Amino acid sequence: EEFRLGLITPPPHVWTLAAEDFGAALNEASGGEHSVTVFPARQLGNEAEMLQQLQTGALDMAFMTVAEVSNRAPEFGAFYAPYLANDMEHAAAILRSDAATALLDQLPATVGVVGVGYGSAGMRQILTNGGAESAADLAGQKIRITPFEPILDFYNAFGVAPTPMPLPAVFDALANGQVDGIDMDSELIVLLNYYEHADTMIQTNHMMFPMVGLVSGRVWAGLSEEDQAMIRELMAAAVDSTLDVYVERDGPWLAEIEATGIDYQVAGPEFFGDAIATWEAAWADRAGDALAALREAAAAAE
Amino acid sequence: MLNRISAVWARIEMAASAALAVGVTLLILLNVVTRSLNNALFWVDESAIYAMVWMTFLGASAAIHYRQQVAITIVTDMLPLGAQRVAAKLVDLAIFIFACAMLYFCWRWYLPLELAGAGFDTMAFQGATFNFIYAEPTSTIGIQKWIIWLVMPLFSFGVFVHALAHLLNFDAPGAEKSAVAT
Amino acid sequence: MTPFVFFAKLLLAVPVAIVLSLTAIWYIWESDNVILYESFAQRMFSGIESYGLLAIPLFMLTGELMNEGGMTRRLINAARVFVGGFRGGLAYINLLANMFMAAIVGSAAAQIAVMSRAMVPAMEKEGYDRGFAAATTAAGGLLAPVIPPSMLFVIYGVLAQIPIGNMFLAGIIPGLILSVCFALVIALIGLRQQFPKGDWMSAKDAWGALVYALPAMLIPAAIIGGIIGGIATPTESAAVASVVAFLLGWLLYGELKPEKLFEMFKRTALNASLIIFMIAAANVFGWVIIYEALPQRLAEFITTITQNPFVFLLIVNIVLLFVGMLIDGIAAIILVTPILLPIAIQSYGISPYQFGVVISLNLVLGLLTPPVGVGLYIASAMSETATGRILKALWPFLLAVTAVLILLSYFPALSTALID
Ligand code: NA
Ligand code: NA
Repeated sequence: EEFRLGLITPPPHVWTLAAEDFGAALNEASGGEHSVTVFPARQLGNEAEMLQQLQTGALDMAFMTVAEVSNRAPEFGAFYAPYLANDMEHAAAILRSDAATALLDQLPATVGVVGVGYGSAGMRQILTNGGAESAADLAGQKIRITPFEPILDFYNAFGVAPTPMPLPAVFDALANGQVDGIDMDSELIVLLNYYEHADTMIQTNHMMFPMVGLVSGRVWAGLSEEDQAMIRELMAAAVDSTLDVYVERDGPWLAEIEATGIDYQVAGPEFFGDAIATWEAAWADRAGDALAALREAAAAAE
Repeated sequence: MLNRISAVWARIEMAASAALAVGVTLLILLNVVTRSLNNALFWVDESAIYAMVWMTFLGASAAIHYRQQVAITIVTDMLPLGAQRVAAKLVDLAIFIFACAMLYFCWRWYLPLELAGAGFDTMAFQGATFNFIYAEPTSTIGIQKWIIWLVMPLFSFGVFVHALAHLLNFDAPGAEKSAVAT
Repeated sequence: MTPFVFFAKLLLAVPVAIVLSLTAIWYIWESDNVILYESFAQRMFSGIESYGLLAIPLFMLTGELMNEGGMTRRLINAARVFVGGFRGGLAYINLLANMFMAAIVGSAAAQIAVMSRAMVPAMEKEGYDRGFAAATTAAGGLLAPVIPPSMLFVIYGVLAQIPIGNMFLAGIIPGLILSVCFALVIALIGLRQQFPKGDWMSAKDAWGALVYALPAMLIPAAIIGGIIGGIATPTESAAVASVVAFLLGWLLYGELKPEKLFEMFKRTALNASLIIFMIAAANVFGWVIIYEALPQRLAEFITTITQNPFVFLLIVNIVLLFVGMLIDGIAAIILVTPILLPIAIQSYGISPYQFGVVISLNLVLGLLTPPVGVGLYIASAMSETATGRILKALWPFLLAVTAVLILLSYFPALSTALID
């Protein structure tokens, strides 16, 4: 069978490369019976649209930010608890925990997709104009975010006007002042030269940014058990491989940003003041048991 | 009768479209003002975009009524008058087919009967249909996306009415041909 | 079967947006992938759910207000002080103004909208053929995405993962070459057609023209200042400029009646709807053909033909010329970059900057070619000139662009010289 796999990242991005690897591995393991055509760079639409296409069965597979999934299954918002993970290595351990894997069980019923495993992008940082002693100094600014509720609530908690926008619009928006700053990971700050139009890099590590490998529920139901097992195993390995990449490279990327001579600050939870508690209060109910379970996994992994 | 309905509906669409154009302008200005006061509002960009999309589809439907279309008429202009009338009818027919297809797509998208069948319980509905339209949120303005998307059935309905009126109207053609089309 | 149906409908004068939609519907049916019907309406909606498109109605509105308020007339009058006495002076003013605007406006469509309303009536009044006037303006609009800033370059830069600032630098030399070529075209046509020769103004008239135009200069100043000062996006600058234009036209020049404002919004809404709806339909169409991986298959085929980078670029140019005829520039670049760029870099060692400049210029050329020539239709709508009449005067400009494309394909340094 010929499968279609969609994602939003550009062709040379870590996720896209992992998708290509998965396609090659599946082709080989199936003796050429299955192949995967990868559609990078939002060719099939943004994540909301791709998710809808997974639901109808028009699209077979996708590597997608957990953010998009959390818009429909709020428990996944727990991954975005500020400072759940201390750094990228810690984040990888949490994403590989049983508690994280268990969360995937509900996806077929609530979202209509099968989740096979987690990958990730790097930790979230803040790139902005004008230094900030604390998050309160950022109040009133427009900061670009990936559009989903947990992060929206977090930024609202310290008075920033979070501005959701897709990746292709970010550089322009930062350059011409549509936004004052961006919430972004170190890889893209380096690769897309976002630092050119900002004067302050705040290394906050405030959030992890997981990705999940998805198969359409409708398509899954039509597969044989052997094919299901093969796809599950290979795709899980492919998305998991991205964790190692970011663990290895997050540090060098941050060093590269610092080396540009930009005003470089390092901040921890205290930078955000009450905002973290505000977020916890708002999400304690919505994220349900997931938040406690992930916290436990985080403590165990420390 | 159908002609009158089409004309009135087009006037409503056009007025709404113009009002939305005003809205787009005001929202973008609001953006400039609030940001320069360091008090940016997070819902403005998304609202402006939706206002523009509504403006577009309502305006595009009204444009069908006014025959204000972007089309290639190099060939049809050279035809004799009788053939031109036939060609014009075929165009009306093509637009009518498009409208019917769009209504069908919107029906399959919103699945109103199944929703009613599920007692308007969206969880039961999406479990039964694998259709998650009623679970889709907007990014910042906190409205369910299916409400924003209602412009698509509205647009489809408008085009359907205008195209049907054109299709069943056998008056002399060319009287209301626009300057935009060539 | 599908291409046949497509062209039959087009030539029957079925509206372009409807042709694209029906072809997409037909293609889904033919490829037996009817599941896509469930996403069809949503995809049509989301194809235009973009902040950048807001610039289209706002720049159209600014154009309306500047004209109704008598501002463009005063600006052009002031420009006439300097070159009015030369043969073909106004044609050069048009080109110069376009070059100037190109550095402000990131979108060819927006630029053509503003400039058509402003320049075409003025040129016609001086005795130029309206088709030639509209053609000069439309061609000048092609400078918008090449001379920075440029929406197209930003999108390309993100897809190619290269610094957008450098991408902007890559556009400068090609933009200047293009401007010179257009000036040559105007000069050559002028030699054959004997353009009207104006008169120089008296010192007193010249002074009056300059003083009267001074407040009107606030509008370009608002746009430039807003963007460069980091106060506003191009979209926001257009909104601010429309307010300035309205206040000047109403209070200072006394030519704008506030009660006519809603009529202007109606015209703006209608004109913008036609264009944006076409983009929506083009996006659905592009989505359907990419679903069937047609572009990928095409790219695989190209690599079997040649190993020479220049030949490869020529083939890409020819293919994209057809793509640009059918699909709007931004939609097209989103569709082809991820497919062709890896081949260009990996198989042919072509610089991503050169490749970006070439395909961007090629795809904006598509803005002026039927059947889906958004720029051509904007020029036609805003200047109330038949597209056929514009095309008749436009082909020398299109030829010039083609020559520049070949030049850029052959000499990578033209694109890469300014980068480090
Ligand atoms: Na430009
Ligand atoms: Na074209």
